[in-house]
Amino acid sequence: MNDLLQQFLVESRELVAQATDDLLALERTPGDAARFDSAFRAFHTLKGAAGIVDFDAMARALHAAEDALARGRGAPMPPAHVGDYLSCLDQVIQWLDHLEASGAPPADAEARADLLVRRFAEAAATPGDAAGDAADDTEADLWVDGLLAAAGEARAQARTALRLRPAEDCFFRGDDPLAVIETLPGLLVLRLEPAGPWPPRDEIDPFACRLVVLALLSAPEATLASHLHTVHGQMDVVPLSPAGPQDTAPSALPAAARALLEAQLALLSDRGAEAAAGRIASAGRLAENVLRRVGAAAAAEAVARAAAASAAAGDPGPLAAAIRQALAGATQAPAATDAPRAAAMADTARTLRVDVARIDALVKLTGEVTVAKNAVGHIARLAQTGTDLPALAARLKDQHALLARLTDELQSAVLNLRVLPLRHVFQRFPRLVREISADLGKPVRLVTEGEATEADKAVVEAVFEPLLHVVRNALDHGIEPPARRSAAGKPAVATLRLHAARQGERVVIAVADDGGGIDLPRVRRIAAERGVAGAEAVAALSDAEAIDLIFRPGFSTAETVTGLSGRGVGMDAVRAALARMGGSVAVDSRTGHGTTVRFTLPFTVMVTRVMTVEAGGQAFGIPMDAVVETVRVPRGRIVRVGAAAAFTLRERTVPLLSLARELGGPADGTASAEAQVVVIGTDGQIGGFEVDRLGERLDVVLQPMDGILTGMRGIAGTTLLGDGRVLLVLDVQEML
Amino acid sequence: MSCTVLIVDDSKLARMSVAKSLRSLHPDWTHLEAANADDALAQVRKHKVDLALLDFNMPGRDGLTLAAELKAIDPSLPLAVVSANHQEEIIRKAQEIGAVFLAKPLTEKVLAEYLSGAASRRNAAAKE
Repeated sequence: MNDLLQQFLVESRELVAQATDDLLALERTPGDAARFDSAFRAFHTLKGAAGIVDFDAMARALHAAEDALARGRGAPMPPAHVGDYLSCLDQVIQWLDHLEASGAPPADAEARADLLVRRFAEAAATPGDAAGDAADDTEADLWVDGLLAAAGEARAQARTALRLRPAEDCFFRGDDPLAVIETLPGLLVLRLEPAGPWPPRDEIDPFACRLVVLALLSAPEATLASHLHTVHGQMDVVPLSPAGPQDTAPSALPAAARALLEAQLALLSDRGAEAAAGRIASAGRLAENVLRRVGAAAAAEAVARAAAASAAAGDPGPLAAAIRQALAGATQAPAATDAPRAAAMADTARTLRVDVARIDALVKLTGEVTVAKNAVGHIARLAQTGTDLPALAARLKDQHALLARLTDELQSAVLNLRVLPLRHVFQRFPRLVREISADLGKPVRLVTEGEATEADKAVVEAVFEPLLHVVRNALDHGIEPPARRSAAGKPAVATLRLHAARQGERVVIAVADDGGGIDLPRVRRIAAERGVAGAEAVAALSDAEAIDLIFRPGFSTAETVTGLSGRGVGMDAVRAALARMGGSVAVDSRTGHGTTVRFTLPFTVMVTRVMTVEAGGQAFGIPMDAVVETVRVPRGRIVRVGAAAAFTLRERTVPLLSLARELGGPADGTASAEAQVVVIGTDGQIGGFEVDRLGERLDVVLQPMDGILTGMRGIAGTTLLGDGRVLLVLDVQEML
Repeated sequence: MSCTVLIVDDSKLARMSVAKSLRSLHPDWTHLEAANADDALAQVRKHKVDLALLDFNMPGRDGLTLAAELKAIDPSLPLAVVSANHQEEIIRKAQEIGAVFLAKPLTEKVLAEYLSGAASRRNAAAKE
């Protein structure tokens, strides 16, 4: 992706955030002129940005929005219009996401832009305009007919006729009408005619423009607007052959692309040839690339899916069918919008935008490391001459201390590269909260704090889903309907607070509502009803423990599953999602005053403090945050429970697993009188691993498993030890 | 002759885009950037600027106000006010100040024409 496009993405996201902010403020105070100007400027700059990167559909949609804004200037903004503008911004975000993931606008961008343009046009429709157009009709026909008659073969392709009568003084205004016409897409015919009878030769003013520019274009009218407002003068644009609006679908593939796709079909149909799998793979990849190249992203995705299906089945049929469909221009409606979205999320996690200052810090550190290396080299040469060893040792120690500091700094500088502000996540909520609150009929004021708090990119990107779920819950279940709020003496407009803060090596994100709090008796009742826990067990729980019931699988307090919260993900999914990031979730509820859900996340997911242990003759790492304690248990106190074993620790029964056996090795070590046990606690569960020996504690940079080991259960990742051995770090949660 | 062009726009993307066109048109020219009117004035005071391209729509003072301020400092400085809004009023005001109006997004072609005209005028003025 080139740097212009990168900057476009960064800047556009900032502008969308700014405009969203302004619009929401305008919704509260519709007459706020400063906010209006700011929103207007944001839309305007977004339009300009789209123009710079030649994203015509986006420019067109934003132009329509900007026009609508300009018309409404000076008057309070009607709430319905706020929704229109926000929808437009939402579309822009989706376009940006697609662009970021695939490097090209989505295939249906033009169609979606049309929808927005129409929406703004409908909002603005005034009877006066229509009357003006009608008056010109008869005269219009004459020049269009003349132009078409002169067009010859080009006539069939003509979609728009254009007549421009530039202002006489246009040259003095810096206008160049011909240059503008030249930039129009799909210019078929261009004619220049005198605007009227020429004056006598000695009266001609050579600096006055007395021409009429007539043009026929193959581009539809809608795509021309953004080009044409640069020219001044009277302009008539007449759409031609309105019978074929379906032609606007991007079905026509360029000839070269068509030829390539057909060649792939021929390759696939060649059943006699060897190596069908190779042919499927290469034909699939080529077809996909060709389609992506010409902007048919939906078709490209369909081909990619079909190629995978073909490869799996060893049958070129599905792929050939998909290619044929792409050739026929039958791009499926993007019904499965969620899938590309998810893919986009996965893709973005692999590219990184980095603040230059952070790179500079790295460069500087690299320099310092080099200096330290040279110093060590010098000491090594001195050591070879064998003089004054105590002095050398002292210098070596100094250098070691220096290197230790530098590597620490280098490590944190590298980790800082992966840092993003939480703004990326928070900025999506104003619009979402507004929508949800409108759906539910519960007015809500959203307050966000600490957006500048930074966290590892992986954390920032993964936290959106669980956060959205908690926000939905707060609006759906936490916040009471306005009437009940008023009855309770609370303001009718509820407040939802999104707050982020850095606490040491952790980032805490809180979602706090001022609703009714968690209805604990109901939670207990439902937990018992749904069999989340036994009725007696539920009754025996303290209030704090009862709150924890909402995190149990199968629990959902919504009596009727609403479209908002009831998407099959409960708080158990939230807890699991956070656990995957190395975080946790806690709830604090005060009846009548509200609920606060707090996510505690690691600032970085990369450095893990591990304890090394030896089992079955191999070293393993156990993440320190899972280690509760280490104990030596006499063999006599280990009780066999069927095939399993357990021991008692402070009146609690702890299941005991032999780490060596769990990992498929021999279970030796039973000869010793005592078992060395590492007690692990995660998610309230507790368990013991018997190991041969305890090792040291290390800070390691965990490499996730890749290649064929991806998805291997029980292993969280690997790290390289000082002596070059690979240390497998266990995912104890998975093993318990 | 090599020129120094000042690009004033609150959008970094717009500045990058103009700078890119500029580099391909005149690799030997230098350019300065400013994100707002105050930055622009500071640049003009600090460096010798031969040409300035001003975005109209900026937070704070707009491109027309800035154009007037720049003309007060250097009356012979060729200026262009760039905007995606083609309101007659902006164009007329730009002309009154003695600036050329250019449409946004600024294409390389439009920029090339403007630059050749402006640079030759600047050179002619320098010789007088």
